Amino acid sequence: MWRITLPGLLAHKVRYALTAVAVSLGVAFMAGTLIFTDTIKYTFDGLFNDVYRNTSAVVRGTQPVTPDANFTNQRQLIDARLAETVRGVPGVAQTRLGVDGYAQLVGKDGKAIGNPAAGAPTLGEAWNPAADSMSPYRFLRGGRPPRTSDEVAIDKHSADIGHLAVGDRVTVLTKLSPHDYTVTGIVRWGTADSPLGASITLFELDTAERVLAEPGRVNEIDVAAEDGISQQEIVNRLREAIRDPNVEVVSGAAVIEEAQTGVHRALAFFDTLLLVFAAVALFVGSFLIFNTFSIVVAQRMRELALLRAVGASRGQMMRSVMGESVAIGLVASLVGLGAGVGLAVGLRSLLTAFGFALPSSALLITWRTVVVSMTVGILITLLAALMPAWKAGRVAPVEALRAVVVGEETHRVRRAASGALVLTIGSVLLLVGLFADVSQRINYVGAGAAALFVGVAVLGPIISRPLARAIGAPLRWHGVAGLLARNNAVRNPKRTSAAAAGLMVGVALVSVIAVMASSTKSSIGSVIDSSMRADFVVSGAGQPGGLSGFSPSLRRQVAALPEIASATGVRSGTVRIGSATTVVLAVDPRHVDDLFDVDVRRGSFTTMGDSGVAISQEVADSAHLSVGDPMPVAFATSGSKTYIVRVIYGARALAGDYVLPLAAARQNFSSKLDFQVYAKLAANVSPTVGRAAIERVLIDYPNGNLLDRTQYKHEQEAQIDQLLSLMYGLLGLALVIALIGIANTLALSIHERTREFGLLRAVGMTRSQLRRTVRAEAVIIAMLGTLEGLVVGTLLGWAVVVALKSQGITQLSVPVTQLVVVTVLAALAGVVAATAPGRRAARLDVLAAISHQ
Amino acid sequence: MSLKTGPAPVPEVVGRAVAARMVDGVKIFGSGATAVRALDGVSVEFAVGEFCAIMGPSGSGKSTLLHCMAALDPLTSGQVFIEDVDVQSLKDKALTMLRRERIGFVFQAYNLVPTLNARENILLPLTLAGRRPEAAWFESLVDGLGITERLRHRPDELSGGQQQRVAMGRALITKPALVFADEPTGNLDSRSATELLEQMRATVDDMGQTVVMVTHDPRAAGYADRVLFLADGRIVHELRGPTTESVLDTIRYLGD
Repeated sequence: MWRITLPGLLAHKVRYALTAVAVSLGVAFMAGTLIFTDTIKYTFDGLFNDVYRNTSAVVRGTQPVTPDANFTNQRQLIDARLAETVRGVPGVAQTRLGVDGYAQLVGKDGKAIGNPAAGAPTLGEAWNPAADSMSPYRFLRGGRPPRTSDEVAIDKHSADIGHLAVGDRVTVLTKLSPHDYTVTGIVRWGTADSPLGASITLFELDTAERVLAEPGRVNEIDVAAEDGISQQEIVNRLREAIRDPNVEVVSGAAVIEEAQTGVHRALAFFDTLLLVFAAVALFVGSFLIFNTFSIVVAQRMRELALLRAVGASRGQMMRSVMGESVAIGLVASLVGLGAGVGLAVGLRSLLTAFGFALPSSALLITWRTVVVSMTVGILITLLAALMPAWKAGRVAPVEALRAVVVGEETHRVRRAASGALVLTIGSVLLLVGLFADVSQRINYVGAGAAALFVGVAVLGPIISRPLARAIGAPLRWHGVAGLLARNNAVRNPKRTSAAAAGLMVGVALVSVIAVMASSTKSSIGSVIDSSMRADFVVSGAGQPGGLSGFSPSLRRQVAALPEIASATGVRSGTVRIGSATTVVLAVDPRHVDDLFDVDVRRGSFTTMGDSGVAISQEVADSAHLSVGDPMPVAFATSGSKTYIVRVIYGARALAGDYVLPLAAARQNFSSKLDFQVYAKLAANVSPTVGRAAIERVLIDYPNGNLLDRTQYKHEQEAQIDQLLSLMYGLLGLALVIALIGIANTLALSIHERTREFGLLRAVGMTRSQLRRTVRAEAVIIAMLGTLEGLVVGTLLGWAVVVALKSQGITQLSVPVTQLVVVTVLAALAGVVAATAPGRRAARLDVLAAISHQ
Repeated sequence: MSLKTGPAPVPEVVGRAVAARMVDGVKIFGSGATAVRALDGVSVEFAVGEFCAIMGPSGSGKSTLLHCMAALDPLTSGQVFIEDVDVQSLKDKALTMLRRERIGFVFQAYNLVPTLNARENILLPLTLAGRRPEAAWFESLVDGLGITERLRHRPDELSGGQQQRVAMGRALITKPALVFADEPTGNLDSRSATELLEQMRATVDDMGQTVVMVTHDPRAAGYADRVLFLADGRIVHELRGPTTESVLDTIRYLGD
């Protein structure tokens, strides 16, 4: 059969080229993601091995509760004097006291370096003069380690950003008040400028304990063993010598593995996100493949029938088409794999541009990447071609003698039934994923959405005829071009709707995201409006659950201003309640009512004290808790403690499910920082005066943004918009593929209509009229897909928003302006998609076209 | 076939206005050793109100003559005039306008746009020009063609004969200088063919329409005022006032 397949491919190579492009794009996206993350993992694995080369064991505080899936390790501090005991253990060659915590540099321009609220962390660490071979940091020529409490060394990445050099004075923000230091050296982390783009400040040991941890206490003691002593041996000896239930000893290998797992986890999210979009691209591409093969089979009806007439079997016919799809899938996947290498390079530069310092290394292309990319690419092509191939097998030999009739829909009822069935299955899966109590919700939602799309695509030929007629109605004013275009779009509803299907999926996903973002924004807006009593908030230093934030000195300074009536900091930490790990907030209960209206239903914040806890109505209902009941809270650093429920509130969107008293945070959170500071003006102080007063304090805290309620709302919205543009960017690929699909369909049907175009030209149609006809048809197809997508996407978005109600998204908002913009853009995109086919149609030689078979 | 020797007769029109003419038309396809002279110095005139048939064996150049006359294909050398307009000098846009305004076409098959109904197909040249049809002219035209009842039907709902009559309507709607018909009866049964030919004859007699028709069919040629016989790219014979029998005789005579 290959002898028939191959010439078939070559004869229709132009038709198949665009199909292959669609497959290639999806495969490239996937391969690029895999290559990129493999390379990063490999590079970091190597870096960690290098960095911990000389570390045989680590002595550190235990973690009574392990918060799962948390990159940041929160542990109890240990006594620095334990190092004496460690040094006394036989076989210990060297020890290094590890101290780390929040420290953020301020650049020459007065701006804080790094943005821990959105990107890589900013960390401070201790420099141990006696153990420099155990440190991951290497000084660049001309620098030396910090020796006094007035000196620091900084990483090269931060030095470059802040234009800082050895000898400069630099302000460093820590949990204490901001303080100036002299830069004595610039360091690199192994071979990288900094660890994953983190900003690093190295202090002399005592200073580090004071500004990052607590005086006399450290995070860990790293141990280098003498030659010939195994890691396990030294770990055993240390365990024997220490015998403290609050201290654990682990091997260097275990620490390397922890660090590697941490990076792998951090990348896993990124990995998954990109692969989801690669899947979307391939899904959209599969519509294109299906459509191309369907058209080509329809156009080759006579040829196929002739082959049947001279004795080819059904199976042979089917295998011939399948063979073509495999060949295309193979070539396209190979091309995609190659393009993926380029994409991986691009991803790296993109992340570098976003401020992540990624070590440069050769790209790692694993066999898994090759096998997975090729298999997926070929399988998708094969699957999409299955139906057309089956049709090819069903061509009756007698068709060879008949004139080719454009496939008229004969099984409307069957089609409607199967479409409705698939739609129902999709809806059920979707509803289960959104509302039922199941694990792996996202899988149900994803499968449900895919089924919905397929269902709409199956129903497409039925709904597209009236829809296309309606969309095309205004084109009547466009003269004969509009009339012809509309009639063409209606002529073969199967083809029109299949061409529009890809765009339908793309636009639907855009609409879902737009509806979700818009609803989230308006929900946040209404929460801020109804719950925030504070006049100002200082934010921008960190995220709930993160390592960074403001020194408590900021809150003290703001509270001390005569223009301010009250100010409170909000802290956060990771705790385990019941079986769930969750990020909770902690505030001073005395100030809550001044600054927030969290819709208190039972109890009062005035009675909360240091041992009370506030919980949301939802938690109270589901755990059957009421005011006065005890509730255990487990902390990573200090184990389980019991608090008494004192408040039950309704404003879950603002406060989350639990609010702890500040005292609990001081004692048990490893971070001693406020991630936000709220302030209320004193009576008779104008906002302008109050703002000026706080701004003066903030000069020393350049990591803070002072926002009033409206600005805070905008800041929150801006964060969502940022996420939104990333999503749109990733969906852009799917939309491009959808447009290629429209262009491909047009090209194929123009080829089929060569004689018709020749006739039109012969009786007096100008080239530009012909181009306009093709363009109008493309616009109709694009609008068809867009409208279907808008409807499906808005409904889907609505369902998701309803499902997220308990997560605080209470408002459904349909962003009409945005959706109108999408529609207009889709129409323009249709025009673009029609450019090449239109030009080809216009270039047709009239005489040749008339005599075209 | 043996060729008649001597100079080819130059068919000319005496005393009547000329609708179209070709002067020393040469059309060569391909180049070098494979070059084919499809037209080998053809000069011909078509008078206003004349129904002229062009006959000849396959490969004689009769279709090429029609295509070149109809401004669908440029000559290699020589000139074509449609109502004194030198077609060779026109660019694509002007040629398109010329075809739209001054020339009507009826092809052997695939004459109609499948997505347009009969009425829309007939009005196509006017619609393309953005012009409105004269109601009276349209009605008398479709009435004369006998398709008044079929105007709202799509081509696939019409018989072959009806399709060709719609095509005839489209060719005539602009009141063109010439109608070129390329084997218009080639796909029709004999009754439909007769009807179509009678209608073509009627447009010539009643409206003074000029029609140039390429055909294989001696019976179709019998409806013409004049028959030109082509062989090897030259006009080899001319027959005025032909009948089916005289055409057949001529073919036999030329074939000797």
